[in-house]
Amino acid sequence: MAVPVTAPERPVRAVSPRHFVRLKLRVLGNNFRGQAWRIGLFVLGVLFALWFAATGFILLAAPGLADETRYALMTAAFGGALLTLGWLLLPLVFFGVDETLDPARFALLPLSRRTLVTGLLAAALVSVPVLATAITAAGLVVTAGALGGWSAALVGALGVVGGLLVCVAGARALTSAFATMLRSRRVRDLAAVLLAVLAAMLGPLQLFVVAAVRQADWDRLTGVARVIGWTPFGAPWTVGVDVAQGRPVVAVVKLLITAATVGVLLLWWSRSLESAMVGAASAGPARAPRGVVGGAAAQLFPRAVGWVRRDRFGALVARECRYWWRDARRRANLITVAVVGVFVPVMVNLGGASFAVEGGTTFGESAADASPVLVSISMAFVGVLASVTLANQFGFDGSAYAANVVAGVPGRVELRARMTAFSLYVVPILAVIVVVLAFLLGRPEWLGAMAGALFAAYGCGLAINGFVSVLGAYSLPETSNPFAMNTGAGIAKSLYTLVSMVSATVAAVPFVVAAALLGDVWLWLALPAGLAYGAGAALLGAYLAGDALDRRQPELLAAVTPTR
Amino acid sequence: MLAGAGYRRTMTDQPPALSLRGLAKRFDTKIAVAGVDLAVPTGSFYGLLGPNGAGKTTTLSMAVGLLRPDAGEARVLGYDVWADPVRAKSLLGVMPDGVRLFDRLSGAELLAYHGLLRGMDPAVVDQRATELLDVLALSDAGRTLVVDYSAGMKKKIGLACALLHGPRLLVLDEPFEAVDPVSAALIRDILHRYVTGGGTVIFSSHVMEVVERLCSHVAILADGRIKRVGTLAEVRGERSLEEVFVEVVGGRTATGQELSWLSR
Repeated sequence: MAVPVTAPERPVRAVSPRHFVRLKLRVLGNNFRGQAWRIGLFVLGVLFALWFAATGFILLAAPGLADETRYALMTAAFGGALLTLGWLLLPLVFFGVDETLDPARFALLPLSRRTLVTGLLAAALVSVPVLATAITAAGLVVTAGALGGWSAALVGALGVVGGLLVCVAGARALTSAFATMLRSRRVRDLAAVLLAVLAAMLGPLQLFVVAAVRQADWDRLTGVARVIGWTPFGAPWTVGVDVAQGRPVVAVVKLLITAATVGVLLLWWSRSLESAMVGAASAGPARAPRGVVGGAAAQLFPRAVGWVRRDRFGALVARECRYWWRDARRRANLITVAVVGVFVPVMVNLGGASFAVEGGTTFGESAADASPVLVSISMAFVGVLASVTLANQFGFDGSAYAANVVAGVPGRVELRARMTAFSLYVVPILAVIVVVLAFLLGRPEWLGAMAGALFAAYGCGLAINGFVSVLGAYSLPETSNPFAMNTGAGIAKSLYTLVSMVSATVAAVPFVVAAALLGDVWLWLALPAGLAYGAGAALLGAYLAGDALDRRQPELLAAVTPTR
Repeated sequence: MLAGAGYRRTMTDQPPALSLRGLAKRFDTKIAVAGVDLAVPTGSFYGLLGPNGAGKTTTLSMAVGLLRPDAGEARVLGYDVWADPVRAKSLLGVMPDGVRLFDRLSGAELLAYHGLLRGMDPAVVDQRATELLDVLALSDAGRTLVVDYSAGMKKKIGLACALLHGPRLLVLDEPFEAVDPVSAALIRDILHRYVTGGGTVIFSSHVMEVVERLCSHVAILADGRIKRVGTLAEVRGERSLEEVFVEVVGGRTATGQELSWLSR
């Protein structure tokens, strides 16, 4: 139930959000102590964030500086909504949330839920992404000020603060809720579906925006912007413009909407926070002891990999297979692969088509937009993206990896087994994606070229990420929240992802070039060539990275062991 | 590089089950282990005693190949752990402390994993796993995942994993920590039988009673150095082990003045 603590006497000094902020800063500072590379990573992250923030600032401030009243509302509504959406979805599909202050650690302290939530929110506000978002959103204040003077700027600033609160509280509430769902074994499938639907919603939205922009029907766009401005996504960001354009009542109502949204989000967060605090100790309810079938070895191997030999390689594959499903963190990653894998190529290749349908042209005409080259590129992207999941594969294991070090598992066997197990899940997913996409495009004859590019890129990605996982491993916090990241790990993750994406893409370039140059012959040649290329790359990667692993097993273990 | 490592073995006298020479490790500015020499004779039941933070875990981790030492060497039955890890590790059974098991597996699955990882025959793995689970009273857990085990059960399954491949040397870090008396007695019995059967055990602990009851040899480690070493009788002398330990480590006792607010 609730926090199992009753306060026996009144605390002398009340705990305020200030304490949480100071605690977070202290933890951050201590993380940096004596770790030059962490400071470097942090500075790099700050620079990136500032660069993005400056770009965003200029974009949002442009209507004000250019004195373009027409675009002001549109920029505020679309820009703001995009920011909010990014805050809500990116932690789920990619970045995770910074759990420098893990809620579970406060479980034993006599703190009221209200104190805890406001405190954690205040601490969450002290972060680089929030700073970057604030700088970006300051562009809106500039616009409002340029168009409507001081009063508009002031209201705009108020709105921006509200918008930031919506972003942070929303991100926390959403990840916390999903973490709770993913943790309990009963509803995890439901959570997976929900996550998929959520991400899939991005697709139509993006299509809609692309279509609207291409159409350049400004009146219609302004209408959409007005509607968005009334939703929690746009409300806080548009109040400044509203005041500037002489609609103070609207601004007040929108501020109320914002406040209500923040309130609801915080309530939601505090609900799931409680279960996160209490449920942190165990990963879920014990499963009912079922009848034990067969010997120990037979139990280890899931039925799907029953064909694997019962040796070292087989044991590793079987254990990895079990882990990809049983470990909430890994499962969340798998779901991400499936969702992003469906949604990126659909976006890239069908974007034009849907516009054309809306615009009244025939479908066939627009499908000519998509070419084997474009399709190959998008499929290669999906393949690389899927393999990037393994970039910190040893981090998933944490200190449990010690078992493999003690047993002296050769690095090559280890990496080959991990690639195999992951592929057992991912290759079927990728295959389905290719087939579905080929038929959606109405181009089944491209199937071979698409699959070829996909698997070539996937194999290259496996190889590169073999190296990344051995050389650049980092520890993940031992909490039950699969979205939790250590401070600074988000930057490391982005960096490694970038590195592996770029190198894997380079390795897969021959396939795109071949698709462009060889024409129809390629459509038939691509699949066998791609499979061979991908498999060869993966094996070579395992061979070379395995050597590196043999040399640095203890260092790797130290890198993935969470410091306590 | 790997080939010549085993030649240091002399044919006349058997090498010690575990020999550490000048092992040292520094973390940033803190020296965790400052040159440890230790020879664990074959067939001995060796206790490594030390207060918290003395460097026990660091020493044992370096001895079994989990942590690379800054200096020094570790040999298991003559095979260098760092130069010839395959040979050395095949003779070793290890139960680390503060390290998670692959706990999203059930007990039987975990044992099968460890056995196959050691290159054992699946039939043998099945037979030994069943036996171990029975003896350690873990068969009732069935398909419960190790993550849902109690602390004592986790220690027992960890011990089972270390024993499964029939190692010649067992290295156990805090095997009796957080274990209830019944499980502790069971673990003691099994270890005793293992030593009687010709195996060697070295384990770390800070519980004097256990060490006094079990061990043939004792080493006291404090501040990263071996302070006392020898057979139990040699180290203990006429006094109790606890007295020697407190004297060596240099503790302080409460005078009764401080913490006055604790009493009402």
